[in-house]
Amino acid sequence: MKNSSDKKYSIEISQKEAEEIRNAIKAASLKVMDEYIERMKKSWPNRPEAMQYFYDIAKFFGTREREIQEAKEEGKKVIGYTCMLAPIELILAADAIPVRVSSGFYDPVKLGNRIVPVEVCPVVRSTIGVEMIGLSPYLKLSDALITPLTCDGMTKLSEILSDSKPVWTLYPPRLKDSEQSMFFWREELRTLKAKIEKLTRTKITAKKLKAAIEIMHKATRAFRRLQEIRKDAPVIMGRDAMLVNQTSMWDDIKRWTEKTEELCNELERRIREKVWACPPDTPRVMIAGSPAIWPDNWKLPNLVEEASPQGVIVADELCSGDRFLFDPVGVDEWTMDDMFKAVAERYLLPSTCPCFTSEDGNKDRVNWLTARIEERRVDGVIYHVFRGCMLYAMEYMRIKRVLDKINVPVYYLDTDYTREDVGQIKTRVEAFLEMLKSRVEF
Amino acid sequence: MWLEVLSEILKLTIFAGLALAGILAILIWKKDLKTKVSYLRFFVQATAMTAFFFIFSYTTQLLLILVVIFALSIFFGRFFCGWLCPFALYLDLVAAVRKAFKIRYWNFPDKLNKFLNRFRYALLIFFIALPFMLEKIEPWQWSLAKFLIGPFKLVSVLLGPVEPLVIPWESSLKLYNINLSYPYASVIAFYSGENLALIAISIFIAITLASSFVVRRFWCRFCPTGVSFAVLNRFKIFRWIPLLRLNKVEEKCTKCGICKRVCPAQVTDVYEVKGGDITTSMCMLCLRCVEMCPYEDCLKLNMAGKTLFKSRNWLEPSKIE
Repeated sequence: MKNSSDKKYSIEISQKEAEEIRNAIKAASLKVMDEYIERMKKSWPNRPEAMQYFYDIAKFFGTREREIQEAKEEGKKVIGYTCMLAPIELILAADAIPVRVSSGFYDPVKLGNRIVPVEVCPVVRSTIGVEMIGLSPYLKLSDALITPLTCDGMTKLSEILSDSKPVWTLYPPRLKDSEQSMFFWREELRTLKAKIEKLTRTKITAKKLKAAIEIMHKATRAFRRLQEIRKDAPVIMGRDAMLVNQTSMWDDIKRWTEKTEELCNELERRIREKVWACPPDTPRVMIAGSPAIWPDNWKLPNLVEEASPQGVIVADELCSGDRFLFDPVGVDEWTMDDMFKAVAERYLLPSTCPCFTSEDGNKDRVNWLTARIEERRVDGVIYHVFRGCMLYAMEYMRIKRVLDKINVPVYYLDTDYTREDVGQIKTRVEAFLEMLKSRVEF
Repeated sequence: MWLEVLSEILKLTIFAGLALAGILAILIWKKDLKTKVSYLRFFVQATAMTAFFFIFSYTTQLLLILVVIFALSIFFGRFFCGWLCPFALYLDLVAAVRKAFKIRYWNFPDKLNKFLNRFRYALLIFFIALPFMLEKIEPWQWSLAKFLIGPFKLVSVLLGPVEPLVIPWESSLKLYNINLSYPYASVIAFYSGENLALIAISIFIAITLASSFVVRRFWCRFCPTGVSFAVLNRFKIFRWIPLLRLNKVEEKCTKCGICKRVCPAQVTDVYEVKGGDITTSMCMLCLRCVEMCPYEDCLKLNMAGKTLFKSRNWLEPSKIE
C-alpha cells in the first residue's frame, strides 16, 4: 500500500467506514440481485434447466469469488480490465485470470462523487466508489488492471485507480485504418505483453498463445451460436441472453463455454418444438449505446421486458453485450508474429466504439447497427446513453438519421446510475413499445 | 492406331478421375473451414501441374497453349495465377516449408506495394522490348506472327511460369539424362548464351526460391504473365464480360482486417474498398480472404450473377459436403 500523501486522487476513508458502507451496499445489492433474478424467472416461467447455472454465477459474490481466491493462493495472478479493447488472449496465455471490472453498482456512485464531479460518466464514478470500499470482489482481487484509454472518463479513471493498484494503460489510436495506427497499437500491445509476463513470471510462448486463442475461439463460437438463436422468434428472453453474455466477463471462460453450448442445445430443441419464451409478435427491440452492466444497471432491460405491452430485446450493440466476444482472432499462420498481429487486430479493428472516427464518420458502427437490424428484424431501437457519456450522446444524431432512412423508430433514453427515474422512464418506454406494437400489428 | 487413341483417352480419364477423387477426399477429410479451400487449391495446383506436363508432352506448339490460356483468362482473369500456375505451386511449396518450421513471413510496406503495382507494367514492357534491345532486328522479322514464334521467344517469356519441371524437349539443365527445366530457364539460357546458361539459371532459381521463403508469392507480384491477365481486369469496358469477381457486402463488414492480413499478394483493396466489386489486378482469386472472413455472406465469389463461394462463420465445424 502506498503512503496516503503519495496518492494522487484518493481521499482518506477509514477502514471502519469503508467496511460499514461495503457491508450495507453488499447486503442491499445481494437482495437486488435476488429480486432481479426472481423477476427474470417470472417473466419466463418455462425457462430451460441450463439457465440456472448463469443465475448462480450472476450472484457475483460467492462461488466464483472463492474460486478466484483459491486460484490466487495457488499463485495464479488475476488481471482486471475495464473495457473490451483489452486483449484477453494475452492474459490467458500467461496463465492469469481475466476479469472485467467496470462496475454496474448504483450506490458506490455517491462515493465516486467525492472525487470526481457528478457530470462524469456513472460507470467511472461507480468504479471509483467500488474501489474505495472494495465492494467488487473481482476488482479487489485483481493484481493489475488494463485500462484502454478509450474516452476521457476511462483515461482519468486509470489515474485514479493507479493509487491503489498497478494500472497498465493501453492507448488505442482513434483512427483505425492507417498502417501507422496498426503499428502503434501493436507496439502498445507488445509493451503490455512484457508487463504481463513480468507480473505473472510466465513467458507467453507461441504454444501458450495458440492454446489461449483456441480457448477464445470456442467461447466465441458458443457466443455466436447464442446470438444466432436470437435471430428468429424469441426462444430466450433478451434479459437472460444479456445475462449469459455478461457472466463471461468474470466466469471461468472454459466452463462458461460448455454451459453456453448446453443452453444453446436446449434452446435449439425448443425452436424445433416451437416453444417460445413470449408471443412471437412481441415488438422486437434493440438496445444501442452505453453499456448496461449487471447487477444494478439492469433497469432498462427490466423495463422493456416487464412493460405492458411487453417488448423483447433481440439484439444489442453494447460493449457489454453482443459485441463483447463476437469477433474471432483470425490467425493465418501459427507463428508468434502472425498470432500476435491477429490478436492486436482483433481488439482494435472490429471495435465499433464511438471513440473511433474515420473519414466516413464511424461508418463501421452504422454498418454494424443496420446489418443487425436487418438480420434480427428489429422493430425499434432504444438508444441508451448515460449522462456524461459524451461519445455515445454525440453520435446519436448520426445514428438517428440512418435509422430514419430505413424507417426504424429510435428512442433516445438518457439515464444515470440512480433508481429515482424508473417510474418516469417506465412511462416513456411503454409509450414507445405501444407505438411499436401498433406498427407490428399494422 | 485406334488402340493408341484409346490408351490416351484411358490415361486422361484416369488422370481426371484421380484429380476428382483427390478433391472429394480433401473436402470430406478437412473439417477445419479455415484451411479447407487452401488445401483444395493445393490439390488443384498439383493436378494442373501434371496436366501441363501432359500438354507439353503432346504438343510443342507453345503459341497454341498461350492462346488458349489467354482466351480462358478473359473469363477467369487471374484465377489462373491462384489456382493453376505451376510456378505458383513451387512458391507455395516453399511457403509451406516455411510454415512447417514456424518461421514468420515479411510484408512489404504499403507504399512499396503501391509502387510495385505500377512498376509491373514497366516490367512487362521491358520484357516485350528485350528482344529488340539484344538483337539486331531484320526488316523481315517485323511481322507479328514471326515475332511471336520467331527467335525472340516472347511466347516463352509469357509461358515461362507454366514450364513443367521435367520437359520432353532438349534443355539446358540435365540430370541423369532427364531434361529438367524451371520457369523462365529456357529464356534465360537463350539470352545468356551457352557458357553462362547454367550459372544464370542457378542464380535465378536461388533468388526466386529464397525470396518466396521470405515474402509470400514474391514473383507473382510482378510476373509478366500475371500482368497481362490483369490488363483485362483493369479496363472498365470489359466489365460486361462474366468474369470471376470478388464482391463485398458493405453492411456485413466490420473491417476486422483479417482479409487484408491473410492475403498472400498483400492486396489492400479488399479491406479499403467499401463494398461491391473488389477484384483488382493484383488479386489472384486464391480465396484466402473469403475463407478467413468470419462474417457470413460478407465476401462472395461471383460469376455471371451466381455466387460460387462465400464467407461463412468458420468457427462452426464444417458439415460434410
